[in-house]
Amino acid sequence: MDAQKLQLKIFVARDSAGAPAETIIPVFHTWIREHAIPELLVDVTNYAHVPEGPGVVVIGHATDYFYDEGGGRAGLLCNRKRQSPPPAERLGDLARRTFYAASLLERDPAFAGKLRFATGELLFRINDRLAASNDDATFAAVKPELEGLARRLYESPFDLTRVGGPKDLFAVRITSPNAVPLATLLERAGGAPAAI
Amino acid sequence: MSRVQTWKEALGTRVPEAWGREIDIFETQIELRKKGRIEEKLFAETRLRRGAYGQRYDNGQRHDGEKTQTLAFPSGEATKGPSTLWDAPGMERIKIPYGRLTADQLDVLAAVAEEYSDRILHVTTRQDIQLHFVHIEDTPDLQRRLAAAGITTREACGNTVRNVTACPYAGVCRTESFDVQPYAQALTFFLLGHDDTQDFGRKFKVAFSGCRDEACGLTNFHDLGAIARTRNVDGRTKRGFEVVIGGGLGSVPQNALLFDEFLPEEELLPIAQAMSRVFSRLGERQNRARARFKFVVKKLGIEETKRLVLEERAKLRPDPRWTAFLADLHATDERPLRAAGPLASGTLPDGFAAWRETNVIPQRQDGYAMAVITLPLGDLTSEQARDLANIARKFTGDTLRTTVDQNLLLRWVSEADLPDVYAALVEAHLAKPGAGTIADITACPGTDTCKLGISSSRALAAELGKELAASGLDRDPNVRHLHIKASGCFNSCGQHHVADLGFLGVSRNVGGRRVPHFQLVVGGQWTHNGGAYGLAIGAVPSKRVPEIVKRLAARYSKERTADESFADFTKRIGKKTIRAIVEELQQIPSYEQDPSNFSDWGDPREYTISDMAEGECAGEVVPYVEVELASAEREIFESQLLLDDGLADKAAARALSAMLISARALAREKNANVGSGADEIVAEFRKHFYDTQLFFDPFAGGKFAQYFFRAVDEQKQAQTKESAHQLIEEATLFVDAAHQCYTRLGSALRAS
Repeated sequence: MDAQKLQLKIFVARDSAGAPAETIIPVFHTWIREHAIPELLVDVTNYAHVPEGPGVVVIGHATDYFYDEGGGRAGLLCNRKRQSPPPAERLGDLARRTFYAASLLERDPAFAGKLRFATGELLFRINDRLAASNDDATFAAVKPELEGLARRLYESPFDLTRVGGPKDLFAVRITSPNAVPLATLLERAGGAPAAI
Repeated sequence: MSRVQTWKEALGTRVPEAWGREIDIFETQIELRKKGRIEEKLFAETRLRRGAYGQRYDNGQRHDGEKTQTLAFPSGEATKGPSTLWDAPGMERIKIPYGRLTADQLDVLAAVAEEYSDRILHVTTRQDIQLHFVHIEDTPDLQRRLAAAGITTREACGNTVRNVTACPYAGVCRTESFDVQPYAQALTFFLLGHDDTQDFGRKFKVAFSGCRDEACGLTNFHDLGAIARTRNVDGRTKRGFEVVIGGGLGSVPQNALLFDEFLPEEELLPIAQAMSRVFSRLGERQNRARARFKFVVKKLGIEETKRLVLEERAKLRPDPRWTAFLADLHATDERPLRAAGPLASGTLPDGFAAWRETNVIPQRQDGYAMAVITLPLGDLTSEQARDLANIARKFTGDTLRTTVDQNLLLRWVSEADLPDVYAALVEAHLAKPGAGTIADITACPGTDTCKLGISSSRALAAELGKELAASGLDRDPNVRHLHIKASGCFNSCGQHHVADLGFLGVSRNVGGRRVPHFQLVVGGQWTHNGGAYGLAIGAVPSKRVPEIVKRLAARYSKERTADESFADFTKRIGKKTIRAIVEELQQIPSYEQDPSNFSDWGDPREYTISDMAEGECAGEVVPYVEVELASAEREIFESQLLLDDGLADKAAARALSAMLISARALAREKNANVGSGADEIVAEFRKHFYDTQLFFDPFAGGKFAQYFFRAVDEQKQAQTKESAHQLIEEATLFVDAAHQCYTRLGSALRAS
């Protein structure tokens, strides 16, 4: 993937409890204090007051992690901003960080096992309109790599659909009827992310 | 995928040439600074002048609730300013002159918020838009994309003329003398980058208002305020401005003073230029805390300032730009997109009536209205911004404004379209009612992102919004017109001085631990362009603020007489009564009993590292200083009561007494023999706390101590109501600084 600024969102399962701001804010602060993710995390910011907004965000130097409410569907959104790995490793690295962070949340005692992510659907975006406008040409260019990732994750039929309008970020919804456990997705993506 | 490699290449000539050159230069300066070839202070001022500001933790240190951790940025110790690490996220402030935005500009703002920030556009109390968590190396492209849309960030921060603000209703308002927008536009671009505005010692703020009585322009607390006036001259209506100067909020607010009751329109730009020269020449350079124009006016007096400005005016070389804009005062006019029409009777959408009641304002032009978009804490998302741009395109065209109460405004809505506009806003989650009510709370960024923040003004505002809704007070017709404003520190960006209920972030020491507090400020006036400033009654723990708001609002609702303002109500029931409520809520359980008060709203981290719990000795020190500081606060409160009774001299004496008590309390920790004479207290305080800089605030330096020294020096001078008011403000800040000093030094206070 030539573009460096990539996003992946994994949605909260429809039958799962959500993560209220007052619960997830302390969790994100703990991530910073305990270096829960092997990269520099800087601060936590709360936008839960904005409907369908960024929710609660742990701001990092290279990556931000949003408990995102965008589009009216909560999920964990991993936003890679800089210090990207080589192009061939970017998508895989993004997936590892996303699933690793999601699995941390699922396991966090603050949620008492009630927060679960739906693994059969992902939203991929390129957060760079210069590199990738939201059109069919971009889709054609990145599709092989996205298919490769989806094949690796699901090992079964999957579907890629470009979504959004011309002013939106380039976005592709990845769906699969084979909703494998989150731990399996993480393992297939390559396991815990490398340190940045 | 795009083959274009850079935004500079992609945007090409869409970036105005001059603006493009400035951004290229800035990009080069970034590279030079990375190579260490520009000195960090110079680079800091350079980036500030491009709107790229620092943010909390940009010194690379962050307290995680248990200990301070170093943020190990990859660029290491490289800096973009003194104590400001290169990689630390920063804030980009974007000037929106008189708040005017087009739909296309809103689209670009949405895009850059998404790509370089965190998808949030934050509207400020001066009609700017701010993006947070932006990396310095992203700012040139961010600025190019804005420039291509007609927005410059030049001089958004730094020692410059800041965003020129104006009433967002200008041109469609029913009470204005005339439309001030073409004047605001002309003055913005005349002063932008002007030779005479490049050498200020501090920032300079300008505001326009179409009338004197409303709040929308807030000219009273600006360096230069211009209020539209007309005169009949030889049977013709002549336009001009009532010009006021030297106002400002900040730590000690000053009311602007009348410079000219009618400055002819053709003199507006040259007088502003002459004033800039006077400010450049006479403004303080060394002491930042006294460098604003208000201090020049105060020092010289209004008459001498005026004489100097007029003298400078006479020396100016004529500039055709002074009057060129007058040839087309319709240049900023807007034309409605859709025909005017009455609101249809019949079935209206759910919630429409409530929204219309608070958020729709009839225009001067029949059949049209303005619709206020109430933004929670001034925030909207990139998606909402795009939705709003589309709503504007469909219903009104380019008629958007930011407002000083952190909202957005759609103008030229045909009244017939109001239900459809409302429905579209509901879809975009932008149809929140309650604009301008008690629930529409203004707050500066505070500790969320501002490195000067002491308490979390934003999280407090969010909590107040929830609790007012839960208690029903936001719907109570007796109180819903009240204004609540919160500032995270004494710099007053939340404009708490002019609120009915203002809150100013401070901290206090309770049992050896720091506790976030807010000073309750009452008696401010929002109308009349921010016509009067309130005074602090006392500090309450942050977690108790909702309770005090509910108690005061409920009491006002129950006991107010017809049309009695909140300021009049507080006068009637007396500050002693309010102070009693404050005192009741000041007491909190110990940390061991309930630690919740020891963290701030929205932030689970313990509010402070406390070195006060180290040993028993510290425990012995605490009570004496705390008791004395509490006495000092009571003195300040008494001084307010005296001032309310018109006893300015006595009020000032009591305020000075508060300072002396605080200073002595600290000084006695170094020398137990300090007596009670003012000279001795000053000498000991100066020796142990000022000369050693122990008293210095990390950001304000020795400013608060200087208030104290001056108060002692000038104690025999006769006081006016205004001077006593100011002294009370200064005493409040000094006593608060004493609290901070005491907390900072803790047990080290007694070390010799």
